[in-house]
Amino acid sequence: MPTTLEQIKEHFSGTGCALSCAPADRAVKGYDLDVSANAGDVVSAAEYLGGIGFALDTITGVDWILQNEMEVVYDYFHPASPLRIVVRTRVPRANPEVPTVSGVFPGANWHERETHDFFGIRFAGHPNLIPLLLPEDADYHPLRKDFNA
Amino acid sequence: MSASFDIAASAKSGETFVLNLGPQHPAAHGVLRVKMTMDGEYVMRSEPVIGYIHRMHEKMGENRSLAKFLPNTGRIDYLSALHYNHAFVGAVERAARIEVPPRAEFIRVITSELNRISSHLVWWGAFLLDLGGFTPLLYAFDDREKILDLLEGVTGSRLTYCYFRFGGVRDDLDEGFVERTRAFIAQMRPRLKMYRQLVTDNIILRKRLENIGPISPELCRRYGATGPVIRGSGVPYDVRKIEPYSVYSQLDFEVPVYPEGDCMGRYRVRMDEIAQSLRIIEQALDKLPDGPTLGKVPRVLKLPVGDVCYAVEAARGRLMVRIVSDGKEAAYRLKLRTPSFSNMSLFEEASRGMLLADALALMGSLDLVIPDIDR
Amino acid sequence: METPVDTSQIVKFAKLDELLSLSRANSLWPLTFGLACCAIEMMAAGGPRFDISRFGAEVFRPSPRQADVMIVAGTINKKMAMAVKTLYDQMLEPKWVIAMGNCAISGGPFVFPGQYAVIEGVDKLFPVDVFIPGCPPRPEALIEGILTLEEKLTGKRRWPVVKPE
Repeated sequence: MPTTLEQIKEHFSGTGCALSCAPADRAVKGYDLDVSANAGDVVSAAEYLGGIGFALDTITGVDWILQNEMEVVYDYFHPASPLRIVVRTRVPRANPEVPTVSGVFPGANWHERETHDFFGIRFAGHPNLIPLLLPEDADYHPLRKDFNA
Repeated sequence: MSASFDIAASAKSGETFVLNLGPQHPAAHGVLRVKMTMDGEYVMRSEPVIGYIHRMHEKMGENRSLAKFLPNTGRIDYLSALHYNHAFVGAVERAARIEVPPRAEFIRVITSELNRISSHLVWWGAFLLDLGGFTPLLYAFDDREKILDLLEGVTGSRLTYCYFRFGGVRDDLDEGFVERTRAFIAQMRPRLKMYRQLVTDNIILRKRLENIGPISPELCRRYGATGPVIRGSGVPYDVRKIEPYSVYSQLDFEVPVYPEGDCMGRYRVRMDEIAQSLRIIEQALDKLPDGPTLGKVPRVLKLPVGDVCYAVEAARGRLMVRIVSDGKEAAYRLKLRTPSFSNMSLFEEASRGMLLADALALMGSLDLVIPDIDR
Repeated sequence: METPVDTSQIVKFAKLDELLSLSRANSLWPLTFGLACCAIEMMAAGGPRFDISRFGAEVFRPSPRQADVMIVAGTINKKMAMAVKTLYDQMLEPKWVIAMGNCAISGGPFVFPGQYAVIEGVDKLFPVDVFIPGCPPRPEALIEGILTLEEKLTGKRRWPVVKPE
């Protein structure tokens, strides 16, 4: 295994691209490292993790309506080691925008389209941000907490 | 093939047309639509359009309490429903720190591996139907019915199982299950040998699949493809070995890996996985302990505030469930990371420049279940 | 001298309608229209154990122009609804529809307040002849549904009812 958890933690704590970086209890949470980043830093985090061999598991959006924020969670897994890293970022709910990581991980193309479908989060620089799961002319975002069918 | 691919300039005939495949087509994957820009018989660009069976499982996860969501898990990927049961109950048990008795863990492994075999058999029959051979489908369904009889005696359903509960399984194994399963294993092994002689070593199949649809390990990593797709490209990634869960660490089995990366490699991985699953079931039956089948679970189950994730190796690849909870009875956000979603996303890049028949062989070898993609 | 010939042994008369409906009932050709989980039970019904071909319905045609019966097996989505309607329109008369499974009858387990994607039952799009409940219905239930459709066509049930023991 090329990189250890300590080295990854040092990178994120040291380079300042993370707001906070805390190891997590694997047995309870299911992942090893919880990195909170600014919206602008998710791409450099993805580039670093992609460079040491991680793959993108999924991109999740969460609508924290009471705090007026939306959260975007990036899960990473490694094909050769059991390490699991989580990178999260928060954006204001009124104007949610995060830069795309589909330049680093082409698989993020579909994940970001789906998150946009469900929450309306815009991914700046995405080549094709059209609905993926909803009908082509859909203009609603169903997983928002204030969505009424 | 490079990322910037000038379609019109590369078209040998000088003009292209758009061929619409689906959403209803006889290649029995489900409702998948692929818009293919063709140059004669060659696929220049393919654009999958999904969402035709989007049934909003994630929204239902927010509207239903945790126990009421269990039937949904069987319907996301109906061919390997028990793995999806497992991922969901595993996530809840991890967050709520619920203990699962060892007998229940072994029963989970036995039934999950039987489910994996039946899922691979359906894949095998349907894949060969795509390629044009009808007979293996009948053999596969014959064997599958025997597995379904075994599982029906235990779980009560044939297809969309909802058997796992938080803390264990719903019912103990029925009378005679162990003997019947051993009898099934004894008659399945010669059948696998027959399949190898009849189909796998068949020269027509080998010409259709060898060197077709090469997928490199780097392509898999960049798209997050897992399961037999990445194992057919030489990377020994199996969640049961890398992030062991349940009692898999106590069982001795191999992870079949083939380095070629073509359709034949993925095919062989799945056929070998059937044999390995039979091995796992035998060992689990030998080691099956006595005891209760359901642990202690609070009457009203609420998860602590925060998030949790749990990953299992489903028949199609890595399945991960992420639950974000705010302390109420229903999840605040339930995210399903399904294997077919990531496996399908690489189809666009992998199918450039292929003949249409080869592109369909590639799609079949990815083993897609469309409700798994759309959720 | 001419011997009188008793033709009743060799020549039968029947109404053309009855003949036509008998031959249609005996060879219903389904459209391959599996959408979701029920599709697998439909495939199992075509498999060796349950064997729809005993009833003449084994020949699943991918093209709607060549099919008589559309077995809607699975959930209909708002995105898919137009495609389903187009397929129904493309089928030639006489045509029948079997709604297989709870999703095709009424939306199934996917109906809840606030659902945005599922059409609650295929009979909201076009008329249905036979409903087969179940989630998924067993292949025997699908065969029973086909026999019920045959009864609808010919006016009488042509196969014995299996009584549960």
